[in-house]
Amino acid sequence: MPPRNCALCDQARAILKRPKTGQQICKDCFFYVFETEVHNTITEAKLFKLGDRVAIGASGGKDSTVLAYVMKTLNDRYQYGLELFLLSIDEGITGYRDDSLETVKRNQQQYDIPLKILSYDELYGWTMDAIVSQVGKKNNCTFCGVFRRQALDRGAAMLNVDHIVTGHNADDIAETVLMNIMRGDIARLGRCTSICTQGDDTIKRSKPFKYAYEKEIVMYAYFKKLDYFSTECIYSPDAYRGHARAFLKDLEAARPSAIIDIIHSGEAFEVKEEVKATQKLQQICKRCGYMSSNDLCKACSLLEGLERGMPRAAVTDRAFRKKMLEEDQPPEGLRTIPYFQRPSGETRVGTIS
Amino acid sequence: MSCENPTAEADAIMPRKRKYDKSRTCVKCKENAGNVVVRHAVYCRACFIPQMTYKFRRSLEPYVNAKPDGPRRTALKPTGNLLVAFSGGLGSTVLLDLVNRCYVSPDPTLLTADGGRDHPRNERVWKRVHVCYVECCDVLLGTKDRTEEVKNLVEQIQGVEFISLRIQDAFDSSWWNSIFHEDSNGDVVVDLSDEMLPFVTTGSSTQTPLSAMKAYLASLPTPTALPTTLNNLIRVLLQHTALNTNSSHLLFGTSLTSLAVSLISNVSQGGGFHVKEEMQEEWFPDARLAKNSKIGSVRLIRPLKDISVKECGVWAWWSRLRVIGREEWTWPGAKPGIGRLTKDFIRGLETDYPSTVSTIVRTCGKLSPKGSTSGQCLLCQRPAQEGVQAWKARIAIRSHDDVALAGTSVPDPPGHALAPLLCYVCHTTLTSKGTRAAPALYPSHTSPSVGISVPLWASSYLLGSALHDESSDTGFVEPVAFSGGKRMSQEELRGAISEFILD
Ligand SMILES: [Zn+2]
Ligand SMILES: [Zn+2]
Ligand SMILES: [Zn+2]
Ligand SMILES: [Zn+2]
Repeated sequence: MPPRNCALCDQARAILKRPKTGQQICKDCFFYVFETEVHNTITEAKLFKLGDRVAIGASGGKDSTVLAYVMKTLNDRYQYGLELFLLSIDEGITGYRDDSLETVKRNQQQYDIPLKILSYDELYGWTMDAIVSQVGKKNNCTFCGVFRRQALDRGAAMLNVDHIVTGHNADDIAETVLMNIMRGDIARLGRCTSICTQGDDTIKRSKPFKYAYEKEIVMYAYFKKLDYFSTECIYSPDAYRGHARAFLKDLEAARPSAIIDIIHSGEAFEVKEEVKATQKLQQICKRCGYMSSNDLCKACSLLEGLERGMPRAAVTDRAFRKKMLEEDQPPEGLRTIPYFQRPSGETRVGTIS
Repeated sequence: MSCENPTAEADAIMPRKRKYDKSRTCVKCKENAGNVVVRHAVYCRACFIPQMTYKFRRSLEPYVNAKPDGPRRTALKPTGNLLVAFSGGLGSTVLLDLVNRCYVSPDPTLLTADGGRDHPRNERVWKRVHVCYVECCDVLLGTKDRTEEVKNLVEQIQGVEFISLRIQDAFDSSWWNSIFHEDSNGDVVVDLSDEMLPFVTTGSSTQTPLSAMKAYLASLPTPTALPTTLNNLIRVLLQHTALNTNSSHLLFGTSLTSLAVSLISNVSQGGGFHVKEEMQEEWFPDARLAKNSKIGSVRLIRPLKDISVKECGVWAWWSRLRVIGREEWTWPGAKPGIGRLTKDFIRGLETDYPSTVSTIVRTCGKLSPKGSTSGQCLLCQRPAQEGVQAWKARIAIRSHDDVALAGTSVPDPPGHALAPLLCYVCHTTLTSKGTRAAPALYPSHTSPSVGISVPLWASSYLLGSALHDESSDTGFVEPVAFSGGKRMSQEELRGAISEFILD
């Protein structure tokens, strides 16, 4: 095919075909539209206010590396007035996390953003390697997901930030929409497309890359020559999510707008009021103070399962979880999670029972 | 796949390998030996038949009276007649049988005891029952015309009237004029190369309905768009037929299995706003069309929505129904689209996770549309969500001009563009491209180089509203048109709609 002019500026030669629109455009226009779309996402949702302290969840992977770069760029360009931090969670996975943390440390220097690393070991007394040696590879993603989410909030609380931004991209969100419909997870389906989630008194979390295609994030990192660590988690992901991901890739191949179309679908419906009314209210974990839909939060029950040497029961066995709860205090000698201290600054009423 | 025997319908009949939970005894009566396994539960024939009849009636009867009621107490008194959509497939064959045996010629073996309470056995529920078949063979190369076969089958049933349509009727002004007595005095031609979908009104087309229909399909940008378009055209043709036959109810033979597939496929094409309609919907036709009708709206119901393909197969087998079968919609050279991919995916998932289809349908039943409606989509006649074009411009910048628009809403274009009148799905169907060019559908068919005609309900509306907007007295002033059916050149077309061209 003969070289074409950029479909956007009509000046430079087109060097790429945008996965999201199919347009052939030049490099500068690509940077421009990619960044501007993220800026649109941020301003449309009114994510930040001047002076906000914002932690970027940084794993060293492509999504969070590009997110850190773009957040810094937009903060400077549009004078958001944000104070940015990098926040990394060290799950304790030898050979995977060690290297990726090196990348985050280099990002800290390159972008001149302060970095905080919080480890599972320090917070829970368990590394993922140790957990996997106990539970095997089958259920470990349950542990990792629950522990990481809480660890990010706790790290953010230590940094005293108002807001965590994560690198979840459009592909992740589209996949989650499909998965929640197929699994019947109505509570998650109701919130998975919101750009910003916030419980009653937790730290805000948002996804500025909610409309950014994974392929374009890779392209952006490539053309900007960003330093990122690229590998999947060495512990296998959950099979169902794997099916959903493969299906989404097929849909995208059939019609590239499918990703954005699914997100649009997710934004165009909501859980019926009468169904919402039956959903569980959020409360506070009686043991560690983290928000929870039960008396005991997922992290505490998983941790206790590990400590008692019955990790699988904590994942699958309702009766076991109930029994743990009845014993109001954990048995002597078992490790527990330190009580959750929310960031200071605002007065929060009625959270501690 | 023409077949005399329902066993040929894939997976429809009992699997060869028997799978059942604990015993071979029926879970319902706990006496008889089981004859069929439905999602791991064993049923005997004596229990299966009333159970399935009950599920059918439970999905239909609460919506028969104008005011829908929950557990029905009052007699069934619909405001109009009944139209049954018939495709020849397993689902619609079973649907027709159930409709016949419950409401046309009541079958005492089905309507006994609890099932028959309140059933008006002496008085017909719907005064007239029509069965409509839409033949698509003219646009699907290598498929045969089944109209006669379907007609013979339907006419064996006493008390129902058969109506046959062809898919190109959507572009046939004589069909339109015969039912709505509206003289079509023009055509609307849309330019698909521009995402705003600018259009011009022209003199009456010289194309035959079939060639307009083929040109329409051939201009669609992806294989995904083809079945989506056919499905919508068929549904909207049926809706207008329902209106014309004073049918307050239009029934489809969509099974639980196909409903799950269509829900996921629809969500994957951006139709989250239509999740409710995908299950059940009420269509309020344009006032101009409804003025001669005795009914104000048409209720579209899928009474087999709780019944799996397999249960339909068992029913057809036990009732000795003849299933004609329906043609697979395939186009030579086209890769599978989103509909096909979804079907294959759900089938595969069902083997490992058998409750998938019912979970999907149950989950979607808990959702309602979010945000406000800007009106009815001109093409598919479903509600169109407000702000779709602004959303698209913000999420994916397609022009430097979009940047100025982002953050605010896209101003309503002052004149002739189709995009703001369409729902998300229809706009995406017409504009979203694949990674490669779609194969030529009809090699021998020469498509017009500029623009395509739109279905009659859309052109009738546009020509009618042009009448209102632009000159209340004299009909539409500027038929931007060319006379005598000459196609406009690209330049002329652009000139007429230059206010919408962004570049
Ligand atoms: Zn350019
Ligand atoms: Zn806890
Ligand atoms: Zn029985
Ligand atoms: Zn539509």
